[in-house]
Amino acid sequence: MEKTKRAFVGGLLAAAMTAGLAGPSSAQQRIEIQFWHAMGGVLGERVDEIVKRYNASQTKYTVVATNKGNYDEVINGTIAAYRAKKAPHVVQIYERGFMTMLLSDAIVPVQDLLTEKKKQIDWGDFIKPVASYYQYKGKLMSMPFNSSAPILWYNKEHFEKAGFAAPGPTWQELEKQLYAIKSKGIADCGSSLAGDFFWSLIENYSTVNDQPFGTKANGYDGLDTVFVYNKTKVVEQTKRLKKWIDDGIMQIAGQGLSPEQLYTSGKCSTFFASTAAHGSVERDAKIKWSATYLPWEEGTTPRNSSIGGATLWVMKGQKAEDYDGVADFLAFVASPDLQLWWSKVTGYVPITNKAYEVAKKEGYYTANPTREIAILQLNRGTPTANSQGFHFGNYTQTTFALRQELEAVWANKKTPQEALDDAVRRGNEILRQFEKLHAGKY
Amino acid sequence: MVERTRGLDIACHGLLILGGLLVCLPIYFAFVVGSHTVGDVLAVPPPWLPGDRFFENAATAWQKGNLGRLLFNSLVVAVGITVGKIAVSLLSAFAISYFRFRYRMTAFWLIFVSLMLPVEVRILPTYEAVTNVALPLQWLVDWLGIEITLEWNMMNSYGGLILPLIASATATFLFRQFFLTVPEELCEAAVIDGASPLHFFRHVLLPLSMSNMVALSIILFLYGWNQYLWPLLFTTEKDMATAVIGLKHLIPQSDAEPAWNVAMNAALLVMLPPALVVVALQRWLVKGLVDSGK
Amino acid sequence: MQASTSVAELPATPRVAGKRRTASAGGTAGLKRAHYRNSRLPLLLLLPQLLVLLLFFFIPAVRALVQAFVITDPFGTTVHFVWFDNFRALFASPEYRSSVWVTLWFTLAQNALTLSVAAVLAFATDRVIRARGLYRSIVLLPYAIAPVIAGILWAFLFNAHVGPLTYVLKALGLAWDPTRNGVDAFLLVTFAAAWKHICYDYIFLVAALLAVPASLLEAAAVDGAGPSLRFFKIALPMIGPTVFFLLVMNFVYGFFETFAIVDAVTKGGPGGATMILVYKVYQDGFVHIDLGSSAAQSVLLMIFAVALTLLQFRYVERNVNYDV
Repeated sequence: MEKTKRAFVGGLLAAAMTAGLAGPSSAQQRIEIQFWHAMGGVLGERVDEIVKRYNASQTKYTVVATNKGNYDEVINGTIAAYRAKKAPHVVQIYERGFMTMLLSDAIVPVQDLLTEKKKQIDWGDFIKPVASYYQYKGKLMSMPFNSSAPILWYNKEHFEKAGFAAPGPTWQELEKQLYAIKSKGIADCGSSLAGDFFWSLIENYSTVNDQPFGTKANGYDGLDTVFVYNKTKVVEQTKRLKKWIDDGIMQIAGQGLSPEQLYTSGKCSTFFASTAAHGSVERDAKIKWSATYLPWEEGTTPRNSSIGGATLWVMKGQKAEDYDGVADFLAFVASPDLQLWWSKVTGYVPITNKAYEVAKKEGYYTANPTREIAILQLNRGTPTANSQGFHFGNYTQTTFALRQELEAVWANKKTPQEALDDAVRRGNEILRQFEKLHAGKY
Repeated sequence: MVERTRGLDIACHGLLILGGLLVCLPIYFAFVVGSHTVGDVLAVPPPWLPGDRFFENAATAWQKGNLGRLLFNSLVVAVGITVGKIAVSLLSAFAISYFRFRYRMTAFWLIFVSLMLPVEVRILPTYEAVTNVALPLQWLVDWLGIEITLEWNMMNSYGGLILPLIASATATFLFRQFFLTVPEELCEAAVIDGASPLHFFRHVLLPLSMSNMVALSIILFLYGWNQYLWPLLFTTEKDMATAVIGLKHLIPQSDAEPAWNVAMNAALLVMLPPALVVVALQRWLVKGLVDSGK
Repeated sequence: MQASTSVAELPATPRVAGKRRTASAGGTAGLKRAHYRNSRLPLLLLLPQLLVLLLFFFIPAVRALVQAFVITDPFGTTVHFVWFDNFRALFASPEYRSSVWVTLWFTLAQNALTLSVAAVLAFATDRVIRARGLYRSIVLLPYAIAPVIAGILWAFLFNAHVGPLTYVLKALGLAWDPTRNGVDAFLLVTFAAAWKHICYDYIFLVAALLAVPASLLEAAAVDGAGPSLRFFKIALPMIGPTVFFLLVMNFVYGFFETFAIVDAVTKGGPGGATMILVYKVYQDGFVHIDLGSSAAQSVLLMIFAVALTLLQFRYVERNVNYDV
């Protein structure tokens, strides 16, 4: 009896001690930099190529890129890993995670890091909407990587058959055109509702038409910002979308049917989606396709659209010597040549003016005019307080509330105004909690 | 049933046939869809009869869903939970039924309490417990003022998938109930013969518990194989997921190709092992369910 | 051998005809008359179970309790103690209240559907002799199928675009779209959940019906009672405890074990129409990383779960008449 007990207790202690020693021993030739991203499929292969090029270009560091799922899964995985003290060095977080990352005390601002490590980056060269979105107190917090803007994809044949040269520049004209196409029997479906319609059709509608989304310059000027989109033209936009859905002009793709496929197969005449869809549209389209700017409201001067996509953040808590590698890798990613290549193979916009100029000089946009639309749209005019971006805390949560409320609209359970009011109420509760938590830190 | 009422009998058979059809309907359609091409599946009207692409789709499903590895994971997890839970419960049930010691009632109540809270209700903190199992030790160590960092992250490990699920006392109570029905004479005889408690346990109780163990094993195996929430949370690596989770990833999402044929085929493959277990060991299963009220 | 206390009967065994159990106090409850008086060995035997319980049950449960009273940023770097604010926010939130209603309706609907179909099938099984085993095998099959797979199967059958059953519905002139229409989504999830659980109720009901003494039924038949009268007046009261037991178990199933179905099929949508409470806990905690609110919801669910368990063993065991 005594023996078994002693063995037991001894075993327990041993287990406890070995538990503490968990973890691989280091002393490797190259220092490993962990990079988590959300790029799957073809985009993921491109990321792998970037990493391969970087690893081959020097001998001190090896970057290991892992696709952790979609954007939501990546940020949640990073949070879990950080709490377990196993965060990666570099992580790709979507644009709406900006405030959460900024005030998390878990990140190292990128401009500070690269300046400290003496990397030569022209910080003033990033295109305006990109710079304004990801800057805080004049410095870039994360490294822009893949930025996009939504554009209007359309079926040339449908419009030609109906007698239109191109989709009208305003919402009003586009509506007339789509209804005409349907009544003439050319197509049964005018547009298919993409999964990120809240970005392309609500948020970007707000910026292009210079409508405030929230007070305090969309949150730039303070954590005490309040959502106001239930009092702006966004209400009209929502009503318009609801009308299109009810009249069968706008189709909501169900589970298992991709909105993009509804467009590329020729069923729907238009598709509001990111410019990054160039790759898949070129590959899958069975139609004569083209693209143009997002429509704006009659009588307004259109402003710039807001960026989508993600940036690369640097996490705290790594070994000191690793950060040299991190800075080195990020400098590589930000180089104009790489940016240009990345933009060409993916359809994301070139994020520096220099890269853009080089592409223009090469004649790339003369050969591929639709690829320039997004960046022209992003650079249009000077960003106003309403169009520079969105700095809302817990933005994923507030966006989810908005999406859920709009689902109720499509299902005829709430009117657009009711739904937007509820979405704003829920969003504001979430903002207040964020404000309370981070009081004084912004 | 005393008299022969033809009408009622036929009606009953009819009802049962209807019931059987209701049960089989989804499975039949899964088979139909799983044996066609994507194009056929998307056609309107949909196909009503099976096609000829079953094995082709199965190969795709196997490869795309990494089913080989995931099925293996499911097996390890299911067997682990079964063996783990039974072993732990047998010991505990034996301890609280056959021994009189000072902390008996305390232990009993501690175990009883764990029955009250299904695992879904304590998702988040159990998740945190798994990410650092050594945390309580860390607290102890901190409190004692010792300067070491203890960390034991069970994420993406079989341990993390198995251990939280054996932390409930349903099986303990089952065995306890059973032990209470074991005749006293057996134990008295063992005591007279001078056998140690462990000897009695191994040579008398265990053989008697065999049928209960088998029945419970089936239930636990199915429970472990069909687990969803825990593997969802605890595995972030694609290779450590279980088959059921891998299946979820094959379901067509709104922005990808609607490969329902592959998804349905995979569903059939994943439900095959437990279905075989149920069909082959039906009697044990039913006995186990009814006896345990589980 | 002394009959054990009601406490000892957990999980409940719905014995149809059994001895009356009497309560007996404290220290020797559930102890075999022939037992050992060892003090170290039992503790050692209990160690694995208690250790696992400590690490994966007690400590998490306590931490859930604590976390319900704070708000924290996702990374865990900033934590504020806020007393009952999280709970207050929940009670004031229309979304939470809606979720409570959805859960209640869902559980009731699923309960009713499962129990009634299972009862009909059990009654039919009880009456037939031929092929009884075959019928039972078939009906038992969904037990092997994971809830998530059940969800996927039914999601496909009722898929708005490619589902065979949708095709039938549309041919009958009914509109159907679970991705847009909350009611359709709710029905879909209810069907899937009930389909999966019918076998469980069925088995218990068949066993309970089998346990009704044939002599009673024969005597009644001799007295001239037809089959339906025999069923309603004799069999039904005797399977009463089983039915009650199943009602409670169906509740537990509907409340907690249907997570997988919702996650695979609707994710709580559209517009919160299938947002059952347990799914909301997961979504708020793991997707939105609102840890305080999720923990508070967990605590409320815990209270409910405890109440259910107490109800189960108190009411099922005591108030149901075993001596017929």
